This record gives sequence, C-alpha cells and structure tokens, in this order.
Amino acid sequence: MSYTARPRKQYWNEPEMGWWERVYLPEILRGLAITGGVFTRNMWRWMTGRKGALTTYYPEETRADYARNNRGKHILTQRPDGRPQCVACNMCATVCPAQVIEIDAAFDPADPDHPKYPSRFEIDYSRCIFCGLCVEACPEDAIRMVKVVPDLPSGDRGRMWLTLPELLSWSPAADVGKPYPPRPAGGPPGGEH
Amino acid sequence: MPEIFINGHPVQAEKGQTVLQAALANGFYIPYFCWHPALSIAGNCRICVVQVEGRSWCEISCNLPVTDGMRVLTDSELVRAQRKDTMQFITLNHPVDCGICDKAGECTLQDYHYAYNGAPSISREPKVTATKFHDLSDRILLDNERCILCSRCVRFTREVSKSSALGITRRGDESLLRASEDGVLDRDAYSDNVIDICPVGALLSKSFLYKARVWYLKPTPSVCPGCARGCAVDIWHRKPEWKLRALDPQQNTSIARVTPRGAQGPDGPWICNKGRDLARIFERPRATAPMVKGKPVELAAALANVRSLIAAARHPAALVSGWGSNEEFAAFRAAFGDTFRVHVKHDHRPEPGEVVEDGFLIRADKNPNVAGARAVFGVGADSPPAWHGDTDLVLVWGEGCNFADLPRGAAVVFLNAYLAPENGHADVFLPISIATERAGHYTNFEGTVQGFAACFAKPQGASDAQALFESLATVAVATP
Repeated sequence: MSYTARPRKQYWNEPEMGWWERVYLPEILRGLAITGGVFTRNMWRWMTGRKGALTTYYPEETRADYARNNRGKHILTQRPDGRPQCVACNMCATVCPAQVIEIDAAFDPADPDHPKYPSRFEIDYSRCIFCGLCVEACPEDAIRMVKVVPDLPSGDRGRMWLTLPELLSWSPAADVGKPYPPRPAGGPPGGEH
Repeated sequence: MPEIFINGHPVQAEKGQTVLQAALANGFYIPYFCWHPALSIAGNCRICVVQVEGRSWCEISCNLPVTDGMRVLTDSELVRAQRKDTMQFITLNHPVDCGICDKAGECTLQDYHYAYNGAPSISREPKVTATKFHDLSDRILLDNERCILCSRCVRFTREVSKSSALGITRRGDESLLRASEDGVLDRDAYSDNVIDICPVGALLSKSFLYKARVWYLKPTPSVCPGCARGCAVDIWHRKPEWKLRALDPQQNTSIARVTPRGAQGPDGPWICNKGRDLARIFERPRATAPMVKGKPVELAAALANVRSLIAAARHPAALVSGWGSNEEFAAFRAAFGDTFRVHVKHDHRPEPGEVVEDGFLIRADKNPNVAGARAVFGVGADSPPAWHGDTDLVLVWGEGCNFADLPRGAAVVFLNAYLAPENGHADVFLPISIATERAGHYTNFEGTVQGFAACFAKPQGASDAQALFESLATVAVATP
C-alpha cells in the first residue's frame, strides 16, 4: 500500500481572502470596532434610560416583535361546544422527533361523529424543539402553534408540561368552533353537521 | 408432486394444494383477505386473482388447484388491473377513519391500499353508512362501515368454535354482519379470535379499544399460564422507546393485549378468551416486602431466618407451585435435594362460571406446569396432600394454599408474588416475581416444552424464586 496525498476538498463557499485579510491584524481591529460600537451604543441608551437596548428581562418582559408565523406554544382547536377537535390519533405524537407528546385516548359512545377524544394531552416543553411537525402531521387541524412562546420558566424539568386545560385555553372569536366532521366544501354554512 | 411455474419460476407444489398455498409456501406473495390457512375457502374477496398463461381472464388462486405444468402469473398487466378494480370496489364505501381505528398499522386493507390501489373512493354517490360501534358481545364491538364482508369471522364460529354465533344478513351494499342470536357470542369461549382474523378494523376488542396505537406496542413471546394446554401467545406491551413520562407510568409495565403466536404452539392459531385476559391474572396488587411473622424485614434477615428454620426442621415438607418454570423446579431440586418431602400444588382452580374443560383447547387443570413438576419431582398434584405425621416445617410456594389445611404446629415459609392476608400469617414471607418478569419454560400436559421471555422488570423488593432457592442452598446441602 502506498500513500498518495489527495488534494484538499474544495467547497463551494471557500473564503476568498485578499491582501488586507491575509495581513490579519486590520481585520481583528475591524471586528473589535464593530463589537465596541454595539456595546457603547447600548450602554449609552441604557444610561440615558431609553428603550431599545437589545436585552429583554424575561419573563417579566417579552418581546413584541415575533414574526407573524413564529412557532411558539401549541394550542388545540375546539369544536363549537368547546370540546377539542383532536381525535387522539397520535399522529403528532408519532411524528414528533423529540417524542414529547403523550396522549391518553378515551371512547365517547354518545358522539358517533367523534367517538375518540383525548382524555389527557400533554406536551413536554423541556424537550420540545418547536419544529412544527406535529402541526403538519395533524389530519384534523386540531393542533397548531401560536405566535406567543410558552411561559414556563422553571428550575424543574418535570414542571414544564403543558396539559389539556391550558392547550384548550386558546379561543379567539374567529377560527375556532369548527364542526366535526369538517363540512364538505360548498356545503351550507354555519351550524353543526 | 406436480411442478408448476409461477412467474416463470419452476415450483414443486404438493398434490391437492391450491395455487395460493403453493405460491405462499415458495415465497411468492399473493394478497388475500377472505382466505385463512385454518378456515375453509370462501373465495368472495377476489383480491387473490392470478392469470394462467394463455388465458385472457383471471382466476382466484385460493380456489384454483394446482395441475402439473400449470403456468401462473401473479403480477401480469391483467392481474394488476383486476386487483386495483377489486380494491376500489372493496373501499368504495369504506369510511377511511384509520385515525381512530385500532387496526391501523396492522390492517391488511391499509397495506393493500398502498400496495395495489392508492386512489380514493371513485363513488359519485354519498358513501353508504351503517352501524358503528355495534355491541356484538360483551367483549366485542362491531363497526359495519369498516367491514369488507370477507366472512372469516362467520366461518370461524361455524368451523372452529362451533357456536355459529355470527352470520351476514341482508344483501348487496346493505349486508350486515350480525350475531345469530342474542348472547351466543357471549357464551363462545373463543370469540376473541375473530378480532385477530378480521383483516380490517371491523371487529374491535372492548378491553383494547383506544388503549394504544399498535406501533407503540411490541410482542414478547410467552406461554399462556391459564391452563395445562400452555398455548403459545404474544404478550403485547409498550415499547421501551415509547415509554410514557407524564401519563400513568403503569401503562409502561402493563399488558396491553394478548394474541396467539401464529401456528407455532400446540394450539394452532387460536387461544381462548381467558388467555386474552392475562392482565386480570397478573396485574393484581403485588407484595414487595419480606416479612418475619408479619413484620417487614430485610431480605437477608428473612433468608437467615429460613436457613435456621430449615436447619432445625426434622420433617420438612414443600408445597411446590404448579406455576413454577422448569428452571425453577431444577433449581429447587439442586438446592435442596431430598431435604423436603415435595407435594405439587394447584395454585389456581376453575373459577365459578369459567369453562372447566372442553374438547378443543381448554383443560381442567388451570396451572401451566404441573407436568413439569411431575417430571422433576416424580409426584403429581395430590389434593389435599398426604402430610407426614410429624411435619414441622412447610415451604409453601405460590398461591392457592389454605393455611388451615397445613399440618398443625408446623412452621410456614411462604413464597408469594401477590398481596394476600396469608402473607402476614406465615413465619417467614418472601415476595417473588411473576411469569411476565422472568424467562423460563413450561411443560404442557402433552409433554411439549415451550419457552417464555420476560416482558417487564421485577418490582423493587421482589426476587426470582430461583435466586432464593440458590441462596438458601448451602445450608440445605450441608444438612443430611
């Protein structure tokens, strides 16, 4: 066996350095100037009591500038009578890469349209990675992620579970209260099917 | 031995076989719904169609006997088109409620849909609705919308369990599976097998309804301890990787369901309803603390107490459990030799209302391993045991012993897995493990030896009886 040196792998984003970069020291000084500039600007704002410093004092303060489609905490959508739309099919729990969703299913013989419902639905926010796969996997549009982040600061991982009452606490006037099963497209509007 | 050709490959078929049997035996898969290896041929689902070369039509392979030199195609253009048409016909009115169907994940219709059809219902009319969650018996729910009318369950109750409890009423898309008479299926001791053989989720077990999606569960091979037949079963329990953290942790270590293990056991692919309810036998409150005269002590102290009792006894006797495994009997024999006068005990006896014995599977002896004990100790289960006159120590292993029947004045060492009032009455009590917590072998009444594997860990405080015998052995061997 003979050893043959292979050429170093070339990447598509290989950095191209000019003479000034190669000299090294001016770049270091430029970096220090950027960091120092941000630092002094924030310091000045803070000393003069003005808002706009980058630090937010969580959980007393929360930022208002989340993106519109930020994946924050989970909610369960509701039927007109306030019961969950969820059919406890466990698709979200199965697809969840962090395996943080746990559902206990129950049988409701009185409701032939919705015989299976979750009696317990719990999400562990100490392990949730906010990927949103549960929302994509849901066949009933029963689980969504809203903009606000879960407010669960705790020193104990065991206390960071969101339970069914909290998941069902989201009820804006619009967009909940959907009939189950969903009305076929073009059907008459309003009312339970 | 006729030689046939499947997709051009020569295959040796047995005389009298059908094309479906010959194909499956030689590794060629042909889909089937209504055909079942242990039932008669109905030929009504039409999914197992094959084409004989040179013919312009398809034939159902489950009812097509092999003939020498037959050339069969299982995947020709015509067969594929016919299969897709059949699937579309079967799923025309299917509700597709897989999300809330307990069969989803192990459903033949689901698998075949993805393999052979893949298209939604082509019906232009609204789907035909039928009864959902119909109470078929006190153990079984029926969903008529999911039913594909394969008639496997009907044939099972006619040919295997002989109760003729099920039939199909009405015609066409109004056909309904129904119980033939009220209560007949309740009295059928094998009724739950129809849940297993149902290729779709039409027949549902009430005890398993919505308990878990099947992909969260795994089967552990085991042996039913319900009677001396010792049917080979699979005990389904939650996979360790899907362990629940917030919900009831009991779900991680409980039996979700029990199914027969193929045709490997002496019983064929069937088990009785008692075998389905092993959770009722095993999931009772457990004893976890060793006790001396009713007071909890350390295991070492209890063992020391037993050692001194054995050393002091002049005529010790032992009541050996009919639920012990062959390994435990061998360990008992190796540890104590002939120290004890051994009697074998029936831990369980037929309960009121239970089928005591029938001509099919159920045996009157409700213990799994009395035959194994007889093989090791050479004594059968005599009840009540003929006690030696001056018996001064009895080692009672397992439940089902009335302490009032023990010889008067004898010290009692009691090994039991469950909480019972007798535990405190024994001189020394030692908690032991149950069959789902250890591996071993049972010998059934026919002499067939079958193994079972451990599903769960032992509870804190309980020990395997085998380990207890081994740690008590030194004293016993030293005593002549």
